[in-house]
Amino acid sequence: MGSKYLVKIVSSVVALVLVSLLWVLIVSKPSDGQVARSPLLGQPAPAIVTATIDDQPFDLQRRKGSWVVFNFFNSTCVPCINEHDLLVDFAKREATSDNGAELYTVVNDDSDDAVRNFFTKNGGDWAKLKDENGAIAVAFGVARVPETWVIDPNGLVRIRVTGELSEGLLEAQLDKLREEFTS
Amino acid sequence: MFASAGITGTIGRALLLVGFIGSVFGAFAAITGVRTNEPRVIRLVSRFAILAFVAALGAFAVMEYAMITRDFSLAYVQKVGSWSTPALYNFAAVWSALEGSILMWVLILAGYTLAVCFWMRKRLSESLAASAMAVMMIVLAFFFLVSFFPANPFAPGAPGVLDGPGPNPLLQNHILVMFHPPILYLGYVGVTVPFAFAIAALVTGRVGEGWLVATRRWSLFAWGFLTFGIALGSWWSYEVLGWSGVWAWDPVENASLLPWITGTAYIHSVLVQERRGMLRVWNISLLVATFSLTILGTFLTRSGVLNSVHAFSESGIGAWFLSFFAVVLVVSVFLIGWRGDKLRSPGIIDSPLSREAAFLANNVIFAVFAFVVLLGTVFPLIIEALQNRQIAVGEPFFDRLTVPIGIALLTLMSIAPVLPWRKASAETLQTRLFWPMWSGIAALVASLALGAYGLAPLLTFTLGGVSGGAALRQVILATRRQGLRGLVGRANGGMIVHLGVILIAVALGASNSYSKSQELSLVAGVPATFAGHSFELTDVIEVRDDRSVSVKARVIVDGDKTYEPAITKYTRIGMNVGTPSVKASLTSDIYLTLEPPVRQDSNTARIKVFIKPMITWLWIGTMLMAVGTFLAAFPGRRRRPTDATSAPVLVAEKI
Amino acid sequence: MKTRKSIWLAMFLLVSVLLAFGATRSGGPQTQQDRIDLVTSHLACPTCSGESVFVSRASAAEAIRTEVARQVGAGIRTDDEIISYIEQRFGSEVLLVPRSTGLDSLVWSLPAAVLIIALSLLVSAFARWGRRTPGAPSVADEALVKNALAESTRVGDES
Repeated sequence: MGSKYLVKIVSSVVALVLVSLLWVLIVSKPSDGQVARSPLLGQPAPAIVTATIDDQPFDLQRRKGSWVVFNFFNSTCVPCINEHDLLVDFAKREATSDNGAELYTVVNDDSDDAVRNFFTKNGGDWAKLKDENGAIAVAFGVARVPETWVIDPNGLVRIRVTGELSEGLLEAQLDKLREEFTS
Repeated sequence: MFASAGITGTIGRALLLVGFIGSVFGAFAAITGVRTNEPRVIRLVSRFAILAFVAALGAFAVMEYAMITRDFSLAYVQKVGSWSTPALYNFAAVWSALEGSILMWVLILAGYTLAVCFWMRKRLSESLAASAMAVMMIVLAFFFLVSFFPANPFAPGAPGVLDGPGPNPLLQNHILVMFHPPILYLGYVGVTVPFAFAIAALVTGRVGEGWLVATRRWSLFAWGFLTFGIALGSWWSYEVLGWSGVWAWDPVENASLLPWITGTAYIHSVLVQERRGMLRVWNISLLVATFSLTILGTFLTRSGVLNSVHAFSESGIGAWFLSFFAVVLVVSVFLIGWRGDKLRSPGIIDSPLSREAAFLANNVIFAVFAFVVLLGTVFPLIIEALQNRQIAVGEPFFDRLTVPIGIALLTLMSIAPVLPWRKASAETLQTRLFWPMWSGIAALVASLALGAYGLAPLLTFTLGGVSGGAALRQVILATRRQGLRGLVGRANGGMIVHLGVILIAVALGASNSYSKSQELSLVAGVPATFAGHSFELTDVIEVRDDRSVSVKARVIVDGDKTYEPAITKYTRIGMNVGTPSVKASLTSDIYLTLEPPVRQDSNTARIKVFIKPMITWLWIGTMLMAVGTFLAAFPGRRRRPTDATSAPVLVAEKI
Repeated sequence: MKTRKSIWLAMFLLVSVLLAFGATRSGGPQTQQDRIDLVTSHLACPTCSGESVFVSRASAAEAIRTEVARQVGAGIRTDDEIISYIEQRFGSEVLLVPRSTGLDSLVWSLPAAVLIIALSLLVSAFARWGRRTPGAPSVADEALVKNALAESTRVGDES
């Protein structure tokens, strides 16, 4: 097989593929902490019946009438650790306001003890929910942590935030939702 | 640079620098030696090769020393070392993460460079050999540089750390971790040797068959170890990972398979160039592709781009390997284009029904195979970069496309060994394929009698029978003519390798199509049955040691021996690892896993039973391939490549 | 020659018949576990790179396996419906078989295109080589062949 043109064509194709691969890789920007889509948005939240890590019962149905915030968490995941202080501040803010949102941590693939130790060391006294067999994660479609979900007082899913929370993101989103809800 | 590292780290890093300088100077010496033909300069090449190897060996020894003494002043030891890891796994922990495995690459490459230098010691003044040494030194310099800068294993760690988590638990519970990576690397890195000679041939213009014939055994050696390394990886996947399969088409596996695909095409295609001086561009391209794919594979698996394309811009190592890959490709393609005239072959393929044509078709099929695997592996990357969404390309895609490719290859394996060179007539084929065809029919009838179904597996069994018959026919004819010598040499050893491949193909066909599984909830003392076998739980025990807690279910299979599938929690890392237990036999394996949740004090356990037909034949086929490769390395009866095709065959030649 | 040809024809016919018979045979009824394994083999583990839920030992994969097992046991949904259910929650990243629409279809069409191009190049190369008619042999060539045939003591080696 000796066509000089064939070799030239092949080398140009190879060069083109390489250049585009390089361009594609260099140009791509990471995205993080963003409000994401989900087919559950605007739909009734899945039924959640479980227990806290202190064996207190929890039923999402009975939280109707309050804003509920779920934070899917794992004590070894770095972005979860990073955003923890933001959540502590958020919980404090909501505790002092009327009709404040209820914050719940959903334990994702972690031991109860590890979670308990983490919260003892880093603060945060809200309820942490057990997730048997990852059923809650599957129901919401949560594969990677952290994720934060907001459910309105009617039990409808309103917001999904994937990745590490940024400062003020959750508060701003919640305030916007509250306005729309009361109007 | 060396300020904050401890003594060990400083010595190690200094050795890496020495090695880098040695290989750079070695490359210069080789190039200058060719130009000026000064014997003093040429002697320097071997000196620098020795220096680079001693430096690499020293750096590796320092790393092992630091790991064995648990020197936590080094960040790498903090990452993968631990007081509670047993000695053997601790030794292997050196190559359990990025920095250490690059260090092992450096060591093996330095070893190969020294070996080639020694092999060529009387001919280093020849331009081909010297240029090849230069290329090897340049590649070695690159890897020394990577180990010195972005993948520095001797970087100082955080102060005050007294213990570490140890290597990933999956790398701590099977002895294979001692063998699989080094053997795979012997193959991976070994490809550098024929590649260096190919580049040297292009640069010096000596693109005839000389470099090809000279590096034949080096190519075979590297290919053999790559094959064996991949097979060991499948065995590890089977024994350790707990999903009962041998190949999952995940990116790390694909990264090792890609150079194997082009490498296999290469070792077949060179036969045509040796015999008739044809397919030169194919051979050089396949070799360049094989080497580049080892670099690309390392890039894909080490840069993290496959988990997220954005990991590329976050870590530095990806850019190094991608740039090196680009340089290798651009330089090689340029050289091939430049030497295009010289690479044009004097002959043509006379007939589509000839062995040359079969090898050409072989090249094409393997090229398509490599393209499919590469496309499937990088496609999620491309989609994520272009549209910022994640997709997955997995087993269904690869199976759908590679099964037809495999069947095409089996067909080629049936016909090619009986095809003569130049031109074949239909009569020749009919005569030679008569008994292989009957063995194919026998295989088909036998598998139908055993209950096989489905077009793809049945085609696999039939073609396995035909190609097995063709290969056996070759070996029988050769032994009839030459006695035991009929088993050695490239052609005969190659037929034995083919027999191994056929066993593997048939075993894969059977186990992929006919595996069955069932979850059983066992209560102690009450046997359950599945697929004609009985399973009885005796008890559930807990075994503790200083790094893990294992819960094991003891199950008696078929009233005979006890098997203990387990779930082990590694306390330091907090990771759960399931360990399967396998009852192997020639017909099928019974594969047991313990399913969570499990409690030690209860006398119930949920186990999953897999019936995997013919898995043992995979390992038998692998051993046959290893034996065949070894036999193929012997000198057989060969013509010199420059003789006429009708010249009498000479006895064993020395290379 | 004719008997040879007819034997070969008979062999091919036999193989085709046997293959047709075997291809349409089935290996017994599909158990629930078979269904679960089939469905999980077509779902991608969301936290791995391309491993199927069937293969992966990650926690997300185990959670999805449990859910699939629950739905197969309930017997209400078909395989495709279960896959859609999981896809609705996790997004299309969980589909292991790339779709045949849009940019994703390239992963199917590119190999097909490459195969077609490769095969046509091969066929055209053979056609090109076949068209080259060799010149008639010269007297010297004929003498050379005669001598070589007379000298050769061995019938053509096959290796």
